[in-house]
Amino acid sequence: MHHSGLQLSTPSDSTIVLTRTFNAPRRLVWEATFTPDKMRRWMEPPPGLTMTVCECDPRVGGALTVQWKTDEADPAMTLHGVFTEVVERERAVHTETMVLPTGETIGKLVETHEFAEKDNVTTMRITQTYDAKEARDGAIASGMDEGMEACYERLEALITDRA
Amino acid sequence: MVLDRSPKLDRVFHALAHPARRAIIRQLSGGERNLSELASPLRMTFPAATKHVRVLERAMLVRRRIVGREHVCRLSAEPLKDAMLWTEEFHQHWEARFDALDTLLDEMKSEEVRPRRR
Repeated sequence: MHHSGLQLSTPSDSTIVLTRTFNAPRRLVWEATFTPDKMRRWMEPPPGLTMTVCECDPRVGGALTVQWKTDEADPAMTLHGVFTEVVERERAVHTETMVLPTGETIGKLVETHEFAEKDNVTTMRITQTYDAKEARDGAIASGMDEGMEACYERLEALITDRA
Repeated sequence: MVLDRSPKLDRVFHALAHPARRAIIRQLSGGERNLSELASPLRMTFPAATKHVRVLERAMLVRRRIVGREHVCRLSAEPLKDAMLWTEEFHQHWEARFDALDTLLDEMKSEEVRPRRR
């Protein structure tokens, strides 16, 4: 169904793993992933949002701040994060909290990036672990994979028949 | 990043997040079943099966009607379509990001090969 190399899986109830290979050495993939002027290029915002702020300091204790605006609100959404583990060019772990201008937190997770290189090809693995207290996200993470896989074929036929 | 905060969708994903409830959905994709027919292959007590069916009902995945003394359950697959669409969108969102990253990395590589003159 999907033609690109992006693989999605959910190994536990509150975890989504994204794996993708890039035709570039790990050094460059790391730089592109965590350097603000590079991040602005690839961090496609959700529809209707424009990125206004992008700060990233990939050192233990360093901050990650990304802000978006819409036509109606600036800021419309802010991502706050702190790096908790960093092995340069290999592995980085940071927290991620999405906050609305009202102060309401709408998502909380821990994101781990892992980079492995072979013959100038880099495999990046992003593991998103949702806060167990945030049942909604956890449910999405687990239902997404198993639920979909278990039901997809048969149910697709059913939906087509009954729609 | 979870973009769709629809509580309706949350209920669907929550309902799908339990193996017993996925098993019930699979059974119902073969047609209507009453509660004891759903409970027995799962080696589940009647009240436990009822509890799972209630979660599926709240997610609008299952409709239940009472015929005499029997509770007959039927699958209502429409909410699954929304869940599949969400999953597709999540996938596409990240695919778009990684495609942009491919382009950026190609640029970074060619800049390294041909460093800009001062």
